[in-house]
Amino acid sequence: MGRYIARRIAQFIPVFLGVTLILFFITTVLPGDPVAVRAGTKPLSPAVYKSLRHAYGLDKPWYVQYVDYLGSLSPVRYSPKSGLRFPGPDLGVSISYGRPVIAMFEETFPYTAELAFAAIAVEIVIGIGVGIVAAVKQFSIWDTFATLSTSILVALPVFWLGVMLQYLFGILLQQWTGGIFYLPIAGASGPPFADWQYLILPAVTLASVSTAYAARIMRSQLLEVGGQDYVRTAQAKGLSPSAVLWGHEMKNALIPVVTFIGLDLGAMLSGAILTETVFNWPGIGNMIYQAIGRRDYPVIFGGVSLILFIVLVVNLLVDISYAFLDPRIRLGSKVEG
Amino acid sequence: MSDDIRASEVLQGGVVGPQAPPEQEPPTENLARRELAGTRTLWGDAWYRLRRNKMALAALTWIVILVAVTLTADLWVPQHFGMPNAINTATAEANQFLGPSLGHPFGTNQLGQDMFSQVVYGARVSLSVGFLAVAIAVVVGLLLGAISGFYGGLADTLIMRVADVFLAFPYIIFALLVLSVLPRDFVTGSILPTVLTIGVLGWPSIARVLRSSILSVKQNDYVDAGRALGANDGRLIMRHILPNAIAPILVYATMSVGGAILTEAALSFLGLGILPNNLSTMISWGQMIAQGQPYLTSSPGVVLWPGLAIVTTVLAFTLLGDGVRDALDVKMKD
Amino acid sequence: MSDHLLVVDDLRMHFYTRDGIVKAVDGVSYTLDRGETLGVVGESGSGKSVTALTLMGLVPMPPGRVMSGDAVFKGRSLLKMKPDEIRAIRGNEISMIFQDPMTSLNPVYRIGRQVGEPVRIHKQASRRQARDRAIELLRLVGIPKPEKRVDDYPHQFSGGMRQRAMIAMALACDPDILIADEPTTALDVTIQAQILELMQEVQERTDSAIIMITHDLGVVADMADRVLVMYAGKAVEYGALREVFDDPLHPYTWGLMDSIPRAGMSEKSQLCPIDGQPPSLIDVPSGCSFHPRCPYAQAVCTTDVPPLRDIRGGHSSACHCSGDPGFNRGCSLNVVREAV
Repeated sequence: MGRYIARRIAQFIPVFLGVTLILFFITTVLPGDPVAVRAGTKPLSPAVYKSLRHAYGLDKPWYVQYVDYLGSLSPVRYSPKSGLRFPGPDLGVSISYGRPVIAMFEETFPYTAELAFAAIAVEIVIGIGVGIVAAVKQFSIWDTFATLSTSILVALPVFWLGVMLQYLFGILLQQWTGGIFYLPIAGASGPPFADWQYLILPAVTLASVSTAYAARIMRSQLLEVGGQDYVRTAQAKGLSPSAVLWGHEMKNALIPVVTFIGLDLGAMLSGAILTETVFNWPGIGNMIYQAIGRRDYPVIFGGVSLILFIVLVVNLLVDISYAFLDPRIRLGSKVEG
Repeated sequence: MSDDIRASEVLQGGVVGPQAPPEQEPPTENLARRELAGTRTLWGDAWYRLRRNKMALAALTWIVILVAVTLTADLWVPQHFGMPNAINTATAEANQFLGPSLGHPFGTNQLGQDMFSQVVYGARVSLSVGFLAVAIAVVVGLLLGAISGFYGGLADTLIMRVADVFLAFPYIIFALLVLSVLPRDFVTGSILPTVLTIGVLGWPSIARVLRSSILSVKQNDYVDAGRALGANDGRLIMRHILPNAIAPILVYATMSVGGAILTEAALSFLGLGILPNNLSTMISWGQMIAQGQPYLTSSPGVVLWPGLAIVTTVLAFTLLGDGVRDALDVKMKD
Repeated sequence: MSDHLLVVDDLRMHFYTRDGIVKAVDGVSYTLDRGETLGVVGESGSGKSVTALTLMGLVPMPPGRVMSGDAVFKGRSLLKMKPDEIRAIRGNEISMIFQDPMTSLNPVYRIGRQVGEPVRIHKQASRRQARDRAIELLRLVGIPKPEKRVDDYPHQFSGGMRQRAMIAMALACDPDILIADEPTTALDVTIQAQILELMQEVQERTDSAIIMITHDLGVVADMADRVLVMYAGKAVEYGALREVFDDPLHPYTWGLMDSIPRAGMSEKSQLCPIDGQPPSLIDVPSGCSFHPRCPYAQAVCTTDVPPLRDIRGGHSSACHCSGDPGFNRGCSLNVVREAV
């Protein structure tokens, strides 16, 4: 397993370098000046402008900036004066706020983590649950309902769903109940993990598409597994239908679902931009979105690096859980058709 | 095996359309018996099966209607409902947030503009972006996928690693970034930047589908036979490999149009996709939703109509894709 | 009514599909006693497997529907049992071995858990007891080092070992009847012989009855005491092994016998495959369903369904002509015409 993880990390490095190189290409070759954006309409004297560009390292050639950026990711620092230190990655300084990017992430990331956890919980509970019901009651009204609603759900623009949920549960519900019960539609109250009411609508919105896919995959996997010879063997042993489902079908059917849910996290973090914008949620998606508008490159690079890194870690966890679920992989043998 | 599985592939493998009970699917022999009149080809059979799939047929009908409406819009929409982006400052306040009526089937928005006209012209943008972006993705994807699958070796490794990089992009963030750094006057009033961005980000999936098709087709004896008969590479690709690989590409492309429409709407919602130009008829559904959001409490219709337009259009492409997949009997798994 | 272990009487299992009614099993009768082996022979699609699955209650209904007949096991009707009653019998008193050992074991669970599972369900054994039983069973079926291999996963077993494990699983509760559905078809020839030998050993030790479903007459000749020949869902010939092999009565059985090579066959005599294809079970020919392929078919064969008749002392055949003195294997067609 250790060698396997090392190999996955080795595979990740070129992908990471490729993604960040293209990022650098986009931001340096194409026009757009973060310092001018920060200054806004106020005229800058050429000297101030020049010193600001120098302060952010924007006057250096792009490859020097790139190496600086890679250096800022390193958790280890070395200088002849102070020797080897481990201050952790600093990710540079935000151009528009003048604050260390890492400090900004420490504030915003917990909110995104909270949102993503809640969304994955929705995805697991509702997605897998609906998939199981639809498969067990195949051809029933529940199955038709599940198939239809998942089709619609994947066609919904996430941001529009968010806006409509705000209208239904925030505005209409407030009117109907005479203001007694409704859900908050924007922002997060106080510290993360504090007030679950603020979390409901953004989490449901962020989870919507993934939940629909999880339900479909769960359903089709269970139906496929249900036709396997080993399920007939289990029935021939005299197991009850529920024992066959939970004892023999579920583990096999869950393998692709777990893979999907894990690999989907990247899409979810990236999609958090939309959800966080709609609900004015103070997470990294919102922060990156604003940074893009301000050409605040250190924040953008830091955000993308963070997302890539999380995706890597989650992919590793998925692989490990995959091996846990499927002994053919754990024991390193080839999977037979 | 596990490291080759990607979310998109798992996803394709798992996406099940509205499935009819098996007894409603006639076995192929029956099909052939009923349709002996010269439709024994793959495409003939597929078309026959597609026509029997009510969902896919409804989806196709809806897409045809949309295309017809957007193509003819200039002839009748502005005349009856007004230009989508024009603001009549004299009457704007009086015409604000009118409810649905014969003159304004979807009502009016905060600027007194006709929502129906906006939704119709929004369809033009959405469909153009959808079709063009997928066309770019398909052309680039086919080219690179063919090179990768057919020649293998260093080219294959290189192309597939680049595809990995593209697939690892946080998609929306990259599209936003590219669109944000492009010069404003280039982006404003043109769908081209959005089309290019979505198209360029879409090629790796097509390339992978084609590559895996080629790899599986290459195993077949008839390719060896063709080579033994002296066919050159180009001929092998055109005559033997592409016809077999085209079915999964077609299914994927059909479904991707819906995805491209969704992405365009999201980018425009965030203010970086289609940028309005008050003189033209160009307008995006996503942009309409963003502009209507502040007025949600009093006039939800401003947000409702463009949203429904997106949902029905994207759903139509998804269902049509499902239908094409079932009709061509494509297993979306590599 | 009888003291047979199992009595199957005129069993009919039809499937209602959109394309029509599939008469998968359409009139099958036999009896089975303790320690006895019944060989069920026929081409694929003749209803052999569905007959067995019907006994086990493993046919999904719908689309399946029992049209008539009964299967009485130890005096109780298997077909009229409630789901939990038949489950108590499955894997316990009647167990089944399937064709493909590669796919019949669950890939994500250890062999021991799967082999020991029947005693966990039916004998309320503890995990520990089930594991001990699994080791004992694996030793019985000839798996070397069973106390180690019990913790293996199926993919660590070869095909032959997996089929041994399947047999071990089927034997877990000392069943009265062991149904083997083409147990050797998917295996190498050398392994086939070992598996058959193993089943015979097991039978001698436990005195259980075996229903051996196969298309291989050689397997039947090795194993069976009695033979049931099926064609298009119907039993066409039934009798003791020696009777059926030495003096078959039904033209279909003759065809089967002539289509396989035999030891001592002269070089000049040639194999004669049966012409044509087995009929679609939706569109079964009128009268005797074998008549379109039968070289001896008469007018009556196209109109009347021949019943399974006892021709001589327990050896029965479903052919209009069987029992006529001049109607023999290889007889000239003229003789047949005169006889009818």
